[in-house]
Amino acid sequence: MAEEVREEQQGQEQEKEAAGQRKGGGAKQRPQEKRFFLRDCWEGLRCGLTPMLGKEMRGRTRGWRSPVLLTVYLGALSAFVLLFLWLNLERLSMIRPQVGLSLYSLFVFSLIMLISFIAPAVAAGAISGERERRTYDLLLVTKASIPGIVLGKWLASVVYLMFLAVAALPVFAVVFLYGGVPPAILGLAFVVCLAAGLGYGAMGLALSALTRRSQAAMIISLVLVFFFIFGIPVITGIIMASNPPGPSPQPLGQPGAAIAGPPWYIFLSPLTAFTSVLPGSGSYGQNWGIPLISELMNMLLNRMVQPEMVTTYRMGYASGYVSSGPGGVAVKPAGLTAWAPWARFTLYQGILIPVSLAAAVLAIAPRKPWPFRRAGKKNN
Amino acid sequence: MIKVRSLKKTYGRVQALRGLDMEVPAGAVYGFIGQNGAGKTTTLRILAGLLVPDGGTAEVAGLEIGSHPRALREVVGYMPDFFGVYDDLRVGEYLLFYAAAYGIRGPRAFKLRDDLLELVELGEKREAFVDTLSRGMQQRLCLARALIHDPRVLLLDEPASGLDPLARVEMREILKELSKLGKTILISSHILSELADLCTHVGMITEGRLVRQGPLAELLNGTPVQTIILRCHGPAEAAEKLLAGWPGVEVLRSLPGQVEFRLAGGAAQAAELLKELVLRGVPVTHFAQEDQSLEDTFVQLAREGGLNG
Repeated sequence: MAEEVREEQQGQEQEKEAAGQRKGGGAKQRPQEKRFFLRDCWEGLRCGLTPMLGKEMRGRTRGWRSPVLLTVYLGALSAFVLLFLWLNLERLSMIRPQVGLSLYSLFVFSLIMLISFIAPAVAAGAISGERERRTYDLLLVTKASIPGIVLGKWLASVVYLMFLAVAALPVFAVVFLYGGVPPAILGLAFVVCLAAGLGYGAMGLALSALTRRSQAAMIISLVLVFFFIFGIPVITGIIMASNPPGPSPQPLGQPGAAIAGPPWYIFLSPLTAFTSVLPGSGSYGQNWGIPLISELMNMLLNRMVQPEMVTTYRMGYASGYVSSGPGGVAVKPAGLTAWAPWARFTLYQGILIPVSLAAAVLAIAPRKPWPFRRAGKKNN
Repeated sequence: MIKVRSLKKTYGRVQALRGLDMEVPAGAVYGFIGQNGAGKTTTLRILAGLLVPDGGTAEVAGLEIGSHPRALREVVGYMPDFFGVYDDLRVGEYLLFYAAAYGIRGPRAFKLRDDLLELVELGEKREAFVDTLSRGMQQRLCLARALIHDPRVLLLDEPASGLDPLARVEMREILKELSKLGKTILISSHILSELADLCTHVGMITEGRLVRQGPLAELLNGTPVQTIILRCHGPAEAAEKLLAGWPGVEVLRSLPGQVEFRLAGGAAQAAELLKELVLRGVPVTHFAQEDQSLEDTFVQLAREGGLNG
């Protein structure tokens, strides 16, 4: 009874408070609101992020599925390495110096493909899956803010994939037995993997929020990823082939040899990142990388000669730009064109992530910032 | 505790709410009754902050919907009519997940989990996977989830739908407990007998408008038509003859020595009829108003068009 009375009193007090706030107008309320705005934002993010990640990790690592999956995954990778080494060493009865490099190239290519296609496929069910499972409303009524829910869902869907990528590192270490791959390049490969996983994962999540159906979101995101990876280089190639040839590539060091670089959109494809992430695949005259990919990339990027490519060759494996060549002064690319392909791909993924997450937030927010309302489904 | 004024909501061409006015006093258990498509779920979703109304205002505990979304979430506990569960979580983990989503962590979250599982009688199922629970148990777990942040207002959309009779009784007992704890409960249901036993106040909605609301007893007694059972010593022909010509009477059933009829009006009309029966020499042994149930009231209003706008 006493509890009831206390509740009642609290209720009355709060009602009075709220009434006072309404009567008092916004001027008095604003400073307090501002003071707590950042704290509320942080609390909203935390309430979304922590439980989502915790649930995902708990669900993924529970039972027999996770150890079995990890064992099969690492077992398959190890078997692949052994097979590759057997084919290259045992059958040829000779040690080729580029074995480690070829193995590394294949590894990185497989890893980026794996992450690029699996991350959006997993994220595509993150929000629409909540709708289909009818757990969506229950999440929205909690203290978790919409950006908190979106961030939590996004990280929860890509974090396990990243865990698998890191778990493969010891297998990668085999390439160091043969030399030829500096650790910095391995780091770059992981940056590209991370960028591809996070970017395409965010895109899958946005499609999940926009389409409201997991299957549709998955199909659209896979088609888009396929287009980004393979479609863009092919389309660029076709466009370049149909254009009249520009000035011939000048030898490095010739003053005034500035030639327009490749179009910006080609760097949306992670394949272009290989030109500096995979040693040798972007070099002239040598083909230590993956034959098909490096052929295609060399064909495209050599045609749109940019000093970086020459630099990549001259520096061996490192990406970046050197300003001096054997015959004189090279033309220094300026601005974004001076960026290495991996850096430009990472930059574009960095733009894709906030744009996709913002789209997801707007799609699921009950209150939209624009007046237009879509005719909703009737609920009762 | 809940005040709704001229609430409007349209889905495409369908007007779900057409200026709904409603008031739920603090501490009340408010039964929200209406046919399918009347606008009950829409109203509850607006009050929970899940839908934005097209017009009108709604306040919960003095907080205007839309203006204070975060404060509103702390005050309101919402249980939808259809909901799902995460199949990869155990019962205890399920509650801890939502506790974390409400910003409750550490020992307090564990204590709340244990207390709430005891309240909804699922203490023994703490380590069971959520998807292995029966429908009734999942409903109770969802109710525990709605209570995890100790809200002052509970919005329950058809909490007893799909439950077997025993599970309904269990749910009703839990709601009675919550009512004793001082929670304001807004509960929509089709099972009117359940509400009659539980509610202190009732609101009847049709086509997006509230047509009746008030304390349950007032609503039941205030109906303009009453059902009366008349028993006579011997045959009841004389009584039937009188009733047939009496204004506002509709005979429902005639048995040997007994007539069941509806009489328009209140106690004064009933007294006058009884006086006339006695004056005409009808040997009346029983003349009493049948207990009016919530279901009768609802059906009566529906028949009379009171629920058709």
